[in-house]
Amino acid sequence: MTAALTTAPATAPNTVHGNGFGSATAGIVTSCLGAAGVWVGLLAMFATVRPLHIGWLVPLSGVYLALDPLGGFFLALTGGVAIPVGLYAIGYARREQLGRIPLAVLPVFVAAMLLVPAAGSVTTFLVAWELMALASLILVLAEHTRSEVRSAGLMYAVMTQLGFVAILIGLMVLSAAGGADRFAALGPVPDGARMAVFALTVAGFGSKAGLVPLHAWLPRAHPEAPSPVSALMSAAMVNLGIYGIVRFDLQILGPGPRWWGLVLLVIGGVSAVYGVLQATVATDLKRLLAYSTTENMGLITMALGAATLFADAGAHAPATIAMAAAMLHLVAHAAFKSLGFLAAGSVLAATGLRDLDRLGGLARKMPATTLLFGLAALGAAGLPLGAGFASEWLLIQSLIHAASTHDTLVALTVPLAVGAVALTTGLGVAAMVKAFGIGFLARPRSVGAADAREAPGTMLAGMTIAAAGCVMLAVAPMVAGPVLQRVLAGLPAANLVGFSDFGAVIRLPGLSGSVSPGLIAAGLAAAVVSAVVLARWRSRQRPKPVALPLWACGADDLTPRMQYTATSFAEPLQRVFDDVLRPDTDIEVTHLAESRYMAEAITYRAEIADAVEQRTYPPVIRAVTAAAGLVRRAHTGSVHLYLAYGGLGVLIVLVVSR
Amino acid sequence: MGWIGKILRVGRVVERADPRPEPAMDPPAGVRGSLQIRHVDAGSCNGCEVEISAVFGPVYDAERFGARLVASPRHADGLLVTGVVTHNMADPLRNTVAATPQPRVVIACGDCALNRGVFRDAYGVLGAVGEVVPVDVEIPGCPPTPTDIIEALRSVTGK
Repeated sequence: MTAALTTAPATAPNTVHGNGFGSATAGIVTSCLGAAGVWVGLLAMFATVRPLHIGWLVPLSGVYLALDPLGGFFLALTGGVAIPVGLYAIGYARREQLGRIPLAVLPVFVAAMLLVPAAGSVTTFLVAWELMALASLILVLAEHTRSEVRSAGLMYAVMTQLGFVAILIGLMVLSAAGGADRFAALGPVPDGARMAVFALTVAGFGSKAGLVPLHAWLPRAHPEAPSPVSALMSAAMVNLGIYGIVRFDLQILGPGPRWWGLVLLVIGGVSAVYGVLQATVATDLKRLLAYSTTENMGLITMALGAATLFADAGAHAPATIAMAAAMLHLVAHAAFKSLGFLAAGSVLAATGLRDLDRLGGLARKMPATTLLFGLAALGAAGLPLGAGFASEWLLIQSLIHAASTHDTLVALTVPLAVGAVALTTGLGVAAMVKAFGIGFLARPRSVGAADAREAPGTMLAGMTIAAAGCVMLAVAPMVAGPVLQRVLAGLPAANLVGFSDFGAVIRLPGLSGSVSPGLIAAGLAAAVVSAVVLARWRSRQRPKPVALPLWACGADDLTPRMQYTATSFAEPLQRVFDDVLRPDTDIEVTHLAESRYMAEAITYRAEIADAVEQRTYPPVIRAVTAAAGLVRRAHTGSVHLYLAYGGLGVLIVLVVSR
Repeated sequence: MGWIGKILRVGRVVERADPRPEPAMDPPAGVRGSLQIRHVDAGSCNGCEVEISAVFGPVYDAERFGARLVASPRHADGLLVTGVVTHNMADPLRNTVAATPQPRVVIACGDCALNRGVFRDAYGVLGAVGEVVPVDVEIPGCPPTPTDIIEALRSVTGK
């Protein structure tokens, strides 16, 4: 927090002149770091990487880096996100005049994120985690001259540091109970400590992953940060929250008792449904994407919880499938969400708008960006031909097949979980159709959208790399097959049944069921081509086409105001989920003085705030404020009193450590 | 499944169909027994509309002869225009005719549509339908009876 506040004002003078060299350097360094991360991560998964100990870097314990397949997986994933973001940042920083400090911190942030999964000891992990949190905070505050950015930054700072406190205590308990600092050397942990570590780490890592109810920073910080930073945070940093849960709760302490699975399943389910509901009614493009992140992290957490629960109930094949779904969805989410945020950043840079109600008509002005965002939206919708399809299919399959196990708890929870996933996917389609259809198609709803111009080459190049990842996952998810096998082999919940049949046709291990995204894509492509050819062939027999104006119900022309807006598109859903979303609407009618039957003006105001945040946060904040008021009584401003406190403290330490 | 048998036994309760009228033209869509109609009220007193709603009601049931009302000229083969054309409706009428795919048929329904009728000298009147857009089929009457309208529609659907 202090770091951000002291460094931030220095960026102001730099924003006046363009920084071409700096942006190129920062972008290239970021991409190179990402490429190195991918390379080392792949090495860690398919070969062995020697652990690295640097004793002098951190006092007492030193820095210890060790990579196993799980760490390598997250390292490669983070690196994979950093490559397109680095390229994109070159053009974005030039166009948006990013200051020197955000440009300098961008590679530091990526390096810190790469260190987190590479850390082999508790101390190193904590140092890397805090470095990542501080770097991201500085990046969120890049445009600190706007008050919304400052308020988002404050929210993010408080939540990330509270999360860090929970993680710090949890990992210290783990380290003390396990009797070692290095992960590999940790011994068995007694039950009480195990529970405490689970509760603390799930709270801490869950807040980083944006799980409800600790998600409130996400829809504030992601929209206000510069878009490459939003992409890094949403596609890479939140994954590391999941990494923390997988590493500490499912691997080191795993597979865990069944109530752990149940807790993860419930948190994940609530996050997924709540996140997607907020995404469907959001009108800010980046806020929508941020809530979609909560949704997807919820789905992943559900899959982790399901794997734990099924492994405990003895259903090992569904457990493996659920774990595979979680890991595959992490990859898919990283691909489509980085692309989504980058494309939203292009829109923001070209139009200065994030409000879907004022966008539109971008398909003509920015065809490449529109196509790329369409790929991202298709991936996020979880439909066939989208990046998220294979993983969501696996999750549903694991849940459906687990229902047949003779275990009361599983039989009770699984139908609810299937319902939650189905609702999430369905609403996700609505949210993404809204983002793409309202934001990019039809006619521009404002001058800014009408004057948009296409993003520069480096930005398009960065987005194209991310889009290639999306298409690959959508058409040929088998490229992730060997990676999944290596990662699953290292996880206690999933290593009893191997996921070997992950090829062009994905066959579930030990169960009936298969799907082939590649074949679906090929079939659809063939159908489209044949339809086009047939239409061409038949069009020869028809009369010549005539160009006519659009049908406007007999009126002269259509205006952009006649179009569907994001708000009106989501209105039916908002009505259905009124009790959850709690929209705040207000209609004010001013009557004419002569008659009550004539209206002079009608004012309509509608706002949907985060209901969870509004309900749960104010009591906590009030309690903290009250506690601070109590503590303040001891802080009178008298130096003598403070000296006395110091002396008393030293005395207590001496007595205790005697 | 008793209700299916009931339907088959009872059949449809409609007036007996008259013998098929002389065809006025080839069916515009190229298919006999199918005419999708968009109704345009260019300035009618709503007398014709009352008769038209009877035409498509259960008693006269024009749909059994293949005529059907649709919600947009983009879906239509023909327009059924009622009333004298007022100044305000002249442009919308032209736009609607332009928006109807060709080959199309324009049916003017009622005396006002044919020759301005009782509104001949009113200040808001531009002219009869035939003075604004080309008319293919005419249905005289003030208002025309449902039987007249059905006969005109059948002369177009050919059924």
